[in-house]
Amino acid sequence: MKFSHILLIVATGVFGAGCSSIENSRDLANPKVSATTLAQQVCSLCHGIDGNSTSPKFPNLAAQQPTYFMAQLKAFRVHNRLDPEGVEYMWGLSRSLTDEQIKGLAVYFSAKTPAPVPGATADAVTIAAGKGIFEKGIPEKGVTACSACHGPQAQGNEDSPRLAHQHADYIVKQLTVFQRTEERHEESTMKTVAHELTRKNMEDVAAYLEEFPAQ
Amino acid sequence: MSSPTYRGQRWHLKITAYGLGLISLLTFLLPMQARAVPAFARQTGQNCVACHAGGQFPELTPYGRMFKMTGYTIGERTIPLSVMGLASSSRIANAPAGTAKTATPILATASVFLAGKITENMGAFTQITYDPYAVDNGDGTFSGHSNADNMDIRFANHIVGNKQDWIYGVSLNNNPSLTDPWNSAAAWMQYVPVPSPSSSQFIDGTAPYPGFASGGNIAGLNAYLYWNRTVYAEVGTYRTADRALSFMTAGASPRTQLNGSNNPYWRLALSHEWGPHNLMVGTSGMLAHVYDDPTDTSDPASVGKFRNTGLDAQYQYILDPHTVTAQVAYMKTEQTYSDAMSAGLSNPGLGDTNTVTRAKLGYTYQAKYGGSLSFFNLKGSTNNQSDPATSGITYEAFFIPVQNIRIGAQYTSYNKYLGASTNYDGAGRNASDNNSMFLYVWFTY
Repeated sequence: MKFSHILLIVATGVFGAGCSSIENSRDLANPKVSATTLAQQVCSLCHGIDGNSTSPKFPNLAAQQPTYFMAQLKAFRVHNRLDPEGVEYMWGLSRSLTDEQIKGLAVYFSAKTPAPVPGATADAVTIAAGKGIFEKGIPEKGVTACSACHGPQAQGNEDSPRLAHQHADYIVKQLTVFQRTEERHEESTMKTVAHELTRKNMEDVAAYLEEFPAQ
Repeated sequence: MSSPTYRGQRWHLKITAYGLGLISLLTFLLPMQARAVPAFARQTGQNCVACHAGGQFPELTPYGRMFKMTGYTIGERTIPLSVMGLASSSRIANAPAGTAKTATPILATASVFLAGKITENMGAFTQITYDPYAVDNGDGTFSGHSNADNMDIRFANHIVGNKQDWIYGVSLNNNPSLTDPWNSAAAWMQYVPVPSPSSSQFIDGTAPYPGFASGGNIAGLNAYLYWNRTVYAEVGTYRTADRALSFMTAGASPRTQLNGSNNPYWRLALSHEWGPHNLMVGTSGMLAHVYDDPTDTSDPASVGKFRNTGLDAQYQYILDPHTVTAQVAYMKTEQTYSDAMSAGLSNPGLGDTNTVTRAKLGYTYQAKYGGSLSFFNLKGSTNNQSDPATSGITYEAFFIPVQNIRIGAQYTSYNKYLGASTNYDGAGRNASDNNSMFLYVWFTY
């Protein structure tokens, strides 16, 4: 049997086995595609199948607060969230999602278990400084404690995202967006909170949240 | 004779016409600023940087590779049409007599892409290129010509579970390794494109690269598998792109003629992603049976054999504002001369072996400013060929003012050319005489 014949048989098998199926669809404009399918076929490519992303370029979504999650996807969809990576990556992906699909995605990722960020290796001094800011804020600068809104376990609530085990680089970049731009204008509280933070403050609290040692 | 009033009306009309033209142009250009680039970007709605590392097409990010491997099907169907153009100017340090278009800005090439999602599981990346300088008429004029360029039509499926992740698919394509998702693969490990006028004959795109000896413009059917984003395996076989497959090399003349359909291609790669880093180490190969003369396939004894074996690796660091890429590729080509050709050779029965090594280091800042440094080295035996040894270094700096325009300056310097550093042609020409500056503006929409 010729090599090309073998390949043709393989090709026919592949076509037959994987005939167009909505369970494996990557169509972002079909309301019939389930949120689970979209999470697996599209979102997981950057955010991980379990909501724990490999690259710090993309935020972890595991156990993210569903209400907050839905608000963000809707903000991307109507172009209310203008931070660069939101514009570059999320505006397009969210543009045709239905409310039902967005709700389903929130349920999917909120049910996932967060994993510690691999390779988080901040030193003890940084972690202690970050913990201090997270739990007590910086009173002399009027910076409130992060835990006041994000919860003592950084687990978040309806309006505030979960931060525990989030990538440090992502947190620093978002704090910078809040502090220096109007790109996330819907979350004005964070502009006030981030106003007095130095770069070092941001890095300390981000390192602490990324590692989030057991209490 | 025109009255002052009439002349005033004409001017008014002219200004209005220019104004409308300008408004039309701006209306056309402005959306590009916001959401530019070809059909793929319109399909996903994403920016170039989502799929292209640091925004420098064609190099892919990990997500871009997944987009390709899943058959260009992520997103929503749109008009699958894009265009690309290259304007350039080339200058050779010591241009041979009769070099055409030296240091002259030219519209070098223009391409139309038909690319995008076709069905849930099928997509295509096909390119047709027009070369205004395809034929040098010898009297200072040129004739343009269009031909099929890159073509990859594929079917893919992605099975995702909590512990297992499988992508598999098949591709009908016209160039070995065009299907490859990594840019250290032969079809992608080269600065492209190359304008036709002889002023560009020594720019990097014409310098040795680790390609397959069969060349492009053939037709292949490949099957591939990517397991847990770790192991990539691909096998395929190529044949002459004739009959129903002739569209894949339309306009290419003469078309490469392979003997039969048993010209296997294979690829195995291991990849790993950690934090903002990713690494691939791979190997590939091909066995091609090629007619000596593409215009004459009457003699079965005129089929030569090329065996290619390649090794390549690619490392990327992608985390704003930095993008770093390091690539290295090595390709060995073992040529067995056809019986017909062998009879007339100085060492009948002996083949020749060439090796090409290429390494490239690139950096992009804020997906706007970038540069790269590339090294190439070709060595070969001299049983029945003259010494092909050619080596050099290419430096490139570029600027991406908006995501679909790249302005670049590329300088290629030769240490050795066709076997020697000095007097390589016996007429006193040195390798460094070929050093070339290539300036370009690359635009895509």
